[in-house]
Amino acid sequence: MSSIEIQNLVARHGSGFVLGPCDLSLAAGSRTAVIGPSGCGKTTLLRCIAGLHPGEGRIALDGQLVNDPKRIVPPSARRIGFVFQDGGLWPHLSVAEHLSFASPGLGTQAAEELLAQVGLAGRSRARPGELSGGEAQRLALARALAGDPRILLLDEPLHSVDTALRGQLGVLIRKLVDARGLTLVLVTHDRDEALALADQLVILKSGKVLETGSADTLLQQPRTAFGAAFLAGATCVPVSVNGGATVATPFGPVPSPADRSCPHALVLLPGEVVVRGDGPVEARVLSVFGAADGARALIDLGGHAMQVPNDGTLRIGTTVRVALRGAPRVLPMDRSEQEANA
Amino acid sequence: MRHLPLSLAATFCVLFLGAPLLVMAWSTVFSEDGFTLQAYGQLLAEPIDRLQMRNTLALGATSTVIALLLGGGHAFLTHRTDMPGAAWLAPLGAAPLAIPPIVVAMGFSDLGKTWGFSVSGFMICALLLGISYAPLVAVMTARGLRSVDGRAYEAVLLTRGRAPAERMLLRMVRPEIAAGCLFALVFVVSEHGVPEFLTVKGKTWHTYAEGVFARWTRRATGVSHADLVSPIVAAVPLLLIIAVALFFALRLRAHTDLRSVRPPLPRRSLGRLRIPALLLPLVYLGAGIGVPLVVLSRWAAGSTQVDTPMGFAQVRHNVQAAFSQAGTDLTTTIVVAAATAVLVLLIAMPIAFRAAGRWPVLQHLSVVPIAVPAILLGMGLVKVWNSPLVADWLYSWSGDFYGTAGLLTCGYAARFLPFGVLALTQSLQRQAASVGEAAQLSARTPLARFLRIRLPLLMPAGWSAMCLVFVLGLRELDLAVVLPAGNETVVRRLSNVVHFGGEDMGGALALMLLGVAVLVPLIVVLVTGRRLTSLS
Repeated sequence: MSSIEIQNLVARHGSGFVLGPCDLSLAAGSRTAVIGPSGCGKTTLLRCIAGLHPGEGRIALDGQLVNDPKRIVPPSARRIGFVFQDGGLWPHLSVAEHLSFASPGLGTQAAEELLAQVGLAGRSRARPGELSGGEAQRLALARALAGDPRILLLDEPLHSVDTALRGQLGVLIRKLVDARGLTLVLVTHDRDEALALADQLVILKSGKVLETGSADTLLQQPRTAFGAAFLAGATCVPVSVNGGATVATPFGPVPSPADRSCPHALVLLPGEVVVRGDGPVEARVLSVFGAADGARALIDLGGHAMQVPNDGTLRIGTTVRVALRGAPRVLPMDRSEQEANA
Repeated sequence: MRHLPLSLAATFCVLFLGAPLLVMAWSTVFSEDGFTLQAYGQLLAEPIDRLQMRNTLALGATSTVIALLLGGGHAFLTHRTDMPGAAWLAPLGAAPLAIPPIVVAMGFSDLGKTWGFSVSGFMICALLLGISYAPLVAVMTARGLRSVDGRAYEAVLLTRGRAPAERMLLRMVRPEIAAGCLFALVFVVSEHGVPEFLTVKGKTWHTYAEGVFARWTRRATGVSHADLVSPIVAAVPLLLIIAVALFFALRLRAHTDLRSVRPPLPRRSLGRLRIPALLLPLVYLGAGIGVPLVVLSRWAAGSTQVDTPMGFAQVRHNVQAAFSQAGTDLTTTIVVAAATAVLVLLIAMPIAFRAAGRWPVLQHLSVVPIAVPAILLGMGLVKVWNSPLVADWLYSWSGDFYGTAGLLTCGYAARFLPFGVLALTQSLQRQAASVGEAAQLSARTPLARFLRIRLPLLMPAGWSAMCLVFVLGLRELDLAVVLPAGNETVVRRLSNVVHFGGEDMGGALALMLLGVAVLVPLIVVLVTGRRLTSLS
């Protein structure tokens, strides 16, 4: 097991910033998912940890500095397993040759055991071109584990497989990571993938860390509107924060936030808004549909679409009144932009 | 140690490209009396210079149009239509590249004698060069057609109809076609062998490259600094034309993205024109390959011997004569071409890795040798490697390098280096970055990673580049004319046929050379089991 300490990490592509400054501390044996929209710097962060992308700042793995202004440890010496988004398999090598090249000390017996663990038993002679999408991902995982790494980095590992296989591979990854006591860092823009594989979440936007914390905390008590929208599927209705003690929202006034230097939004988590005859806000029903957890309706709430439970009485085109369970929540819309402006 | 391959490649480029060009440029502005621009005062001053410039431009434009009609037409018909035999004819589009332009010219000259038409003058020269360099347009047009997403064409076809779809297709392929035309133009304007051949055979008719060479051969008669450097100064406008054409050709070539696999274009039905359409590929391949092969075969069979009937006995006799009289030349030519191919691969590889990575500008810099006419590069190599300074310092302990096939090999390698760099760079750019990065994470040495992962993935392009360079090395005349060891090459001997006769033995020799040019790539395909890709 190995901890990852990142301090003041900055990465560039050409002359433009991609990542940072970024500080992160990931405990040994933790399972962390870095999530965020495309182009936010997730993969670059992973590549910096692996030593595949030059970064300014300090990176320490298990207390050992691998990246600082004076010392850069090459990728092969960091004992890191990496599963690339596109697999990065070597098309001219067989499955067995992948493992023997990745880890010269791995014996035939150990290689066969590893292949059996990832579900590739009997496929040692196949080449990547002969493997299915799921098998190719399993091979990428086996190759990453072959060198006995202390940290496993996964770049959208379930991106290219179908829904049924995602579940299987997710379970397999979790099992292997637990069995080997690895520190896992996963990069994805898929919330479900992140929640399935990780306990800790890091939300990244425009190269900056917006929020970190346990999955439960970030889901239930998001600290930014973006985090709430991205992670919990919240609907964000911009509100005006002026000098007053309270902020007016469609669901009533809320105390004004202390930090008024950036735009704020009323954050409505799924399930927080319910249809109620005496509700303070009027909304229009756009559509009704069935979902796994019961019937639902999509409503237009002042130009913002959101789902509410449907008890069977809602009809398309009708107007209903909605209310909020609990107190309204106003959160900053983009802390990274706020920091940049500061 | 990590930078050793690149350092060696850079050293090679300095010694066999940078130094010759720099020494020539230096000599034009520095005389014994110091800095002077006197030589440039005479630039295009003489009417003959201006005439040669006009001739060259007109020849370049006309030959390019012919190359476009033949090469572009061949690629379009074989890649885009349901013409019979299209699958077989398509790869043959590049085949005329194996025939030296001088051999094509000699073939048509002989045909002219037999059928009673004159092979001389501007139009014939343009036609011969157009045929010789049409493969460049054919290869680039085919590349463009392969890069078009068939769905994009079909989308326009469904919404707007056939004519707008064809117009859109033409717009999409236009950069590649234009790049092919510009490459053809570059080679035509720097060609001196065919114009010189036609001058010898017919009425006096000069082009710029040929004029530069003529000045070079006469320079010993000059006395002033301006006279001595006049061949170099005279080449400057030619250099500018080529540099501009190359710049645009590379910019246009860069437009095409071959990284992703796309659905191919649907083939158009030619209907009743399916059979008549065969005429264009047949004319193109007939002129580019058929005529030279038939004429060379006839020569080898004794067609030029008045007192002996043609037949296999003559062929055997001439092949034996070719072996006995020019066997050494044939061996030298093959060895030099093979060594050039290997050398180009070794030098191009570290450059290509950098060009595909952090220094993309290297890809553009690497085409400088194409921009410099071979005659000029040859002159530069003579100036550097035959200078008293180098002779006194180097040859005293290394032996005379100047007169050996070593300098010829290095000169060829310098000239054909762009083909290696471009082919390997493109191959590297098409590989996913993660393939190399995954290897970086393994507990292997850099050498093991290179030999086991990078090299095998690069070798299809490497074999392609080596085959191309090998074939070009077999047919290179311009450098062989200038460098002393070039006297021992087959192409040089064939060019002497123009001046001194001996067509029967020359025909047999040329056929053997062409056989080698075809056989070696075939063996490579059979042995490696791989298609030769990335040539374009």
